[in-house]
Amino acid sequence: MSGYVEHIRNEAFAAKLALTYSEFFDGISPVKQRVSLRISDNALEIKNVETMQVTRWPLKSIREVPDLSDKAAVIFAGDNEDPARLVIREAEALQTLVESGAPLHRLRGPRGQLRRLGVMGVIAAACFGGLLFGLVPWFANAAAERIPAEAEIAMGQELFNQIYVGTGSSVCTAPDGVAALETMQARLTSGADLPLPLTLRVVRNGTVNATALPGGQVTIHSALIEAAESPDEVAAVLAHEIGHVAHRDGTRGQLRAMGSYGLIGLLFGDVFGFSAAAGVTGAVLDASYTRDAEARADAFAHEMLETADVSPAALGTFFERLAAAEGDMDLGLLRHLSTHPETLERIEAARHAGEVSAATGTILSDGEWASLRTICSIDGSGGALDGEIPPDGGKL
Amino acid sequence: MAILRTAFSGDRGDLFLLALKTSALTLVTFGLYRFWAKTRLRRWYWSSVRPGGTPLEYTGTPWEKLTGFLFAIVLLAIVLTLANLVGILTVIDLMETMPEAYMGALVSLPAVIFPLWFFARYRARRYILSRTRWRGIRFGMEPAAWGYAWRACMYWVLNICTLGLTWPLLTFQLEKYLTDRTWFGNARFTQHGSFLRLYGPLLPFLFCVWGGIALWGYFIYANGGGEAAFNAFQLNEVWALIGGLVTIPLAALFGIYYRVASIRVMADLKTLGDGIEFDLYPRTRKILKIYFFGWWKTYIAAGFVSNVVFGAVLGVLWLTGNFTPDMAVNPPINVAIAIGVLTYLMLMLMAQTFRQTFITYPLVEHIAQSAEIHQPAFLGSIRQRDEDSRGDAGGFADALDAGAAF
Ligand SMILES: [Zn+2]
Repeated sequence: MSGYVEHIRNEAFAAKLALTYSEFFDGISPVKQRVSLRISDNALEIKNVETMQVTRWPLKSIREVPDLSDKAAVIFAGDNEDPARLVIREAEALQTLVESGAPLHRLRGPRGQLRRLGVMGVIAAACFGGLLFGLVPWFANAAAERIPAEAEIAMGQELFNQIYVGTGSSVCTAPDGVAALETMQARLTSGADLPLPLTLRVVRNGTVNATALPGGQVTIHSALIEAAESPDEVAAVLAHEIGHVAHRDGTRGQLRAMGSYGLIGLLFGDVFGFSAAAGVTGAVLDASYTRDAEARADAFAHEMLETADVSPAALGTFFERLAAAEGDMDLGLLRHLSTHPETLERIEAARHAGEVSAATGTILSDGEWASLRTICSIDGSGGALDGEIPPDGGKL
Repeated sequence: MAILRTAFSGDRGDLFLLALKTSALTLVTFGLYRFWAKTRLRRWYWSSVRPGGTPLEYTGTPWEKLTGFLFAIVLLAIVLTLANLVGILTVIDLMETMPEAYMGALVSLPAVIFPLWFFARYRARRYILSRTRWRGIRFGMEPAAWGYAWRACMYWVLNICTLGLTWPLLTFQLEKYLTDRTWFGNARFTQHGSFLRLYGPLLPFLFCVWGGIALWGYFIYANGGGEAAFNAFQLNEVWALIGGLVTIPLAALFGIYYRVASIRVMADLKTLGDGIEFDLYPRTRKILKIYFFGWWKTYIAAGFVSNVVFGAVLGVLWLTGNFTPDMAVNPPINVAIAIGVLTYLMLMLMAQTFRQTFITYPLVEHIAQSAEIHQPAFLGSIRQRDEDSRGDAGGFADALDAGAAF
């Protein structure tokens, strides 16, 4: 190695190397290495310009690090697992690599991620299914059979205060109307064997509905009485709700709701406040629980009406009218998701029960029916009811 | 003595497009895309922060996040259901004697969440660090989430009981717990110093809170003490106004000042490995400004864009004859609800996007640019560490909403 020209050549070569140098991190130490790049034998040769140590990356496995904010540098990895990184800032060096025919796919995570996700997905589905359709309903049913009557009544009272009193629906107490309601209840339940005493109320509420809360708390909304065209229709709905009381469906439902509290919300996270989605899912779930309960309560109602000498067809007639007038009445937006699905089937069942029925009477006289329709001319106190309900529920 | 300064690169417009795209996809997939959105935003932010000119790298993947989330909600669902069932049995017992306990049981449930929340935060931090690399070397954190959770709960209870007097103890001990378990390669971070050094920045806050309490006490004393004086205090509107309008916002402001200052003080007292030191000097005034104007800008911009889109939709409906003036006065219920839901979602989408551009971006930029690494020569002795096990990949934090801004 002598001679001036040779020396100059080496100098020029070194300068050129320095110009196209890149940064290399070997994945072992955080020390920045200056390297020169060369393509040979379908591989990228990365040579440390100080130690002359060479690292070879096969071209086909080289990966590009994605989503970089800094456009001035491109970062590469040897393959998906390799922690070593090559930072290229020179357009020339980048062009060499691009023209080498390397596919330069984006850097992806380690292998087997999709399989792991699949396995976990199956586990999660099985777990949520088991909890929502297995453990919780089983527990709720078992607890509903064993719950003391006092606890059930107190729970229902608490719920009644929450749902009605708390939202401003006052209890209707016009004495004639209350008397008519009591007559209706007495005629329906005479001889019936109920696990709990009934607490029957009418509340001022614009939704056509009636509810059977835990502890025998049956509530009829004033709008339902307005929508009915005969006392038999109200009696039919009442008999249906008494059916729920007889089967303790309200208690079951409440215990189930408590047992699955927060489970659906977990699935949706809270990024955009998707609790609405959780609500809809919960409603669908509820509907699937209650389908059988509704059919059972209907069958109970048919029998109870027959005993009271009222045709079970009244239940179907009422549902039919509601379905026809759906647009005019406030039935809730997601009616098909409500807890009373398959209305057509239920109308059909009621019509069938009416055809084989021998009943010819009506539940109330015209005068009593007129009184019942004015039950909301007097409101009870709007404030909270105290928890002390006489065991016979004879407030109304 | 060499110093590695930190550069911040990255264009706000690029971030806006990335945030808009990922937020919109998150919205239309009912939140499922959030694992991808988080991953892409983190990759972008990480690559913007360049200590010594070399960008950080985020190697987490959306697949592992989704898997971790499912894992977390399965565990949480089992625990939650068992708690619910025990709750039912208790309620049935209590219902006979005191029905109020029924609501009490439902309300007290979130209290169980607090330890879990700290647990989730530690796990999330550990996951993020294990997926962060700089110069090809992995960060990492030791598994000690439960230890962190119960300590955090204890220090918080103590802090609330002492009305802020033990706040520095909380800040310092928790930060030390985290720092001393954090690694870069095979080098460990260490938090030096003592919580006593944090009382300086806390003084304004303490003066404000304890001064308010002292004034209150004096007033009650001057009025003869007892319940009558207490009532007189409440009735005295001027005093109540001064107490409410001056003390509370001032205390909040001094509280933020303390948080920023404590980060700065503790960063100065951290070392890595054989003697690498750090400097971090975020300015409180700058951070307050970013938050204050950032929120305003976010909501004004989000409201403006939502209204423009809303107007455009109505315009198209009107032009195609689907919209009549009558509908504006008395909209059909489902149309009204659809419009309400769409407006809400639009507002959420735009707020999410603008929050990234107007708050997170300047915040990260400011803090990153204020960071310095001293004695970088010691980096030469650091070696790579093994990859951490997968774990829940931040799934607990996601399920419990204990995550960070991105
Ligand atoms: Zn029913």
